[in-house]
Amino acid sequence: MKKMYFILLAVLVFGACKNDKGNGIEGPVLVKKMQEINVYTHRHYPADQELFANFEKQTGIKVNVVNAKADELMQKMTKEGAQCPADVLITVDAGRLVRAKDKGLLQSVVSPVLEVNIPSNLRDEDNQWFALTKRARVIAYAKDRVSPQQLSTYEDLAASKWNKKILVRSSGNIYNQSLLASIIANDGEDDARIWARNIVGNMSRSPQGNDRDQVKAIVAGEGDIAIVNTYYIGKLLNSSNPEEVKAGNGVGLFFPNQENRGTHINISGAGVAKYAPNKANAIKFIEYLSGVEAQEVFAKANYEYPVNSAVEPSDLLKSWGDFKADSLLLSTLGNNNKKAVLVFDEVGWK
Amino acid sequence: MKYLKHFRRNINKWSIFTVVLVLLIGIPIITIFLKIFLGPGESWLHIIENVLLDYTLNSIFLIFGCTVITVLFGVSSAWIVSRYTIPFQKQLEWMLILPLAIPSYITAYAYAGFFDYGGTLELMLKAIGIIGVKFNITNIFGLIFILGVSLFPYVYVSARSVFLYQSARLIEASKMLGVGEQKTFFKIVLPIARPGIVGGLLLVLMEVLNDYGAAQYYGVSTFTTGIFRSWFALEEPATAIYLSAILLIVVFAIIGIERWQRGSKNYAIANKSDIELSKIEVSKKRRFVLFLIVCIPVISGFLLPLFQLVYWSVLTASNVVSIAFFKIAFQSFGVAFLTAFLTVFLALLILYFPKWNRLQWLRKSSRIAILGYAIPGAIIAIGVMIPTLQFDKWMISFFKNNFEIAIGLIINGTIIVLIYAYIIRFLAVAFNPIEAAQSKIGKTLIESSNLLGRTNLITFVKIDFPLLKTALLSAFILVFVDVMKELPLTLILKPYNINTLAVKAYEYASDELIMEAALPSLCIILTGVLPIILLNKLILNGNKK
Repeated sequence: MKKMYFILLAVLVFGACKNDKGNGIEGPVLVKKMQEINVYTHRHYPADQELFANFEKQTGIKVNVVNAKADELMQKMTKEGAQCPADVLITVDAGRLVRAKDKGLLQSVVSPVLEVNIPSNLRDEDNQWFALTKRARVIAYAKDRVSPQQLSTYEDLAASKWNKKILVRSSGNIYNQSLLASIIANDGEDDARIWARNIVGNMSRSPQGNDRDQVKAIVAGEGDIAIVNTYYIGKLLNSSNPEEVKAGNGVGLFFPNQENRGTHINISGAGVAKYAPNKANAIKFIEYLSGVEAQEVFAKANYEYPVNSAVEPSDLLKSWGDFKADSLLLSTLGNNNKKAVLVFDEVGWK
Repeated sequence: MKYLKHFRRNINKWSIFTVVLVLLIGIPIITIFLKIFLGPGESWLHIIENVLLDYTLNSIFLIFGCTVITVLFGVSSAWIVSRYTIPFQKQLEWMLILPLAIPSYITAYAYAGFFDYGGTLELMLKAIGIIGVKFNITNIFGLIFILGVSLFPYVYVSARSVFLYQSARLIEASKMLGVGEQKTFFKIVLPIARPGIVGGLLLVLMEVLNDYGAAQYYGVSTFTTGIFRSWFALEEPATAIYLSAILLIVVFAIIGIERWQRGSKNYAIANKSDIELSKIEVSKKRRFVLFLIVCIPVISGFLLPLFQLVYWSVLTASNVVSIAFFKIAFQSFGVAFLTAFLTVFLALLILYFPKWNRLQWLRKSSRIAILGYAIPGAIIAIGVMIPTLQFDKWMISFFKNNFEIAIGLIINGTIIVLIYAYIIRFLAVAFNPIEAAQSKIGKTLIESSNLLGRTNLITFVKIDFPLLKTALLSAFILVFVDVMKELPLTLILKPYNINTLAVKAYEYASDELIMEAALPSLCIILTGVLPIILLNKLILNGNKK
């Protein structure tokens, strides 16, 4: 008996001993017979859920959703490799979509519907990802202290006249990373570094909170201007808290760089996963999201600009006026993303 | 040769079980440690040059500040409720534990909302005619305050049980020798309580170092926010793991310093006093002052954030409540229940198997159980994912080669991996109270049973288990509450179509819908409050026996 234990232990200690991962719990087994599609998404808005439900109703294809941060989803997809059950990846920010493509997480698809619905500058040149919505990163200003005539470009925010007046969130946020990536692409890395350093010098407080908090800080008088996404202003104006609505009304919106390259835009978008088990359904799903019905929901419920030109923006967005968007190839944002993060660290933009 | 003989003579089935168990728990942790030897990513130098100092100073400042606040609140309130009679004594005793039911990132959101522009404070002040007063709380001082008030109960609980049940005789003796109340406290009570207080404090510090949500929202760069940044923004998991390795070394250094400083002084007079400590009589006015002192941490750690969350929930309930929401609540509850049960079971095994085995070098292996708590949740997720995926890949090729059946991932993307990761993370939470209770049983009972020819297992069932019941239930409750609150690990490993309240709250918050996050948060808190009140009863009764 002792001898047996001895041998057993020896095997366990020295041999390959990785067969003990299960811990005896039975997990729910996915029923595979049904038509289904697995969606990894960073977006988690009620409007999205409504769209998923509509898609289910119309096609009978069940939508399984994993919600998490895009970066974490991409790590998960990388680790899962060929076994990855995801069919569609949906994220916000172009940089991330490019990153997903570069990592080989997506595949090219042929879809005449998508080519009609989505303008060519808003989709990947190899058709690996497609924008679903647009947001612009604009300057919000205190209506009572700043006149729009004083504002011009992102570059101008580095000027000394804005000393101690600028509010902006931390550099951990992808929208700031993409903005800096676009400035690196347009002005070069050295100028971008100087720009970022000057912005840090012009900040009225160290970066904290989210985009909404920057707007509220303007109204509270902590600073005069803030760099924010249009989308969050929409949210603020439709908040269930009357004080937030007041804050949203207290600021004006300015679309910078209209005289030259245009305002920096960002997108949320989707791509078909490299190892999608239900590829045909995945394409159908993205086509549905780019169609008129879904685009109208995006535009109305979420204060985002639709990418399908057949659909008009919501009244609120229209009230901010038309603007010229930076036509920079969106993949550049992804390629410059890491550089942007390193620059932020160097200049001490928290 | 001699060693081998000893080895053969002493080995038994428990040695085998111990090794299996240690591997099961250890593999994810070992995976992370092995990663360290692969070196950091290419931006490591950049990090050292630009941000490491900032991370370090902020983390040290946080540790220091939170130590001061948690010890101050925890020890003072524990002393007052155990030595004095104050108004609402019974209620305050358990309310002092309730801050643990609120995840600290939620407390952070609530405070930000309270002190915000147009926030609750401003509205209240406006109502009484004060305008223009504003506190800025979203900075490192605010963060210290928030982590302090939400974590002090760890110190309170451990200090109180020492005050109540271990120091009675000594306090009586000290009083009889004519020593004043104050001197008794500092010379006798505090030194006795120190190991307990430090034990609670260690839990606090690990939580502080693990915090991501609150620090990120308040714009304070710490080691943990740095880990997330290098992992996700810089795309360098290797660098992230390197940073967390440094963090681990710091944690172990803190534990080591405490052990070394305590030295051979053994204050653990574990025997419960059988005499009840008489309360100190004070004037009505002083009683009221003491009452106010105890109210401060209760209000700031629990009532104020709760009030803010209730207010937000009322504003947003109509957008949030749906059938799906109840489903999520139910799923959360189920996962936490199952995990707590399994974790307590595994904690028992890892406590007893090494004891029953006779190989000396395996005896200490139960220490591995406490490692998981020191590692940030996101890192544990990776540690679990790498080996389980390997396992799945083996299974896939095994089925393909032998049966020509193509199968998908078996355990990844299921609840098994999620619960496995929870167990690794929270084993310490279950292990510590069970071990403490077990050490009080004493060897004599068990040795007598063994002498009477009872096997280890029967001895356990007949003697240990009945004596451990309270500790087991406490362990269960602690793990349950922790799982309900857990976020980073759940985000990464959660399977399809299963959601938890913490994830739901986070989703709302990350979409800048902080108000909508209030209702799921409230549910987490409510499911935590009842077990915690129960836990408090258990501690009190368990010690009175």
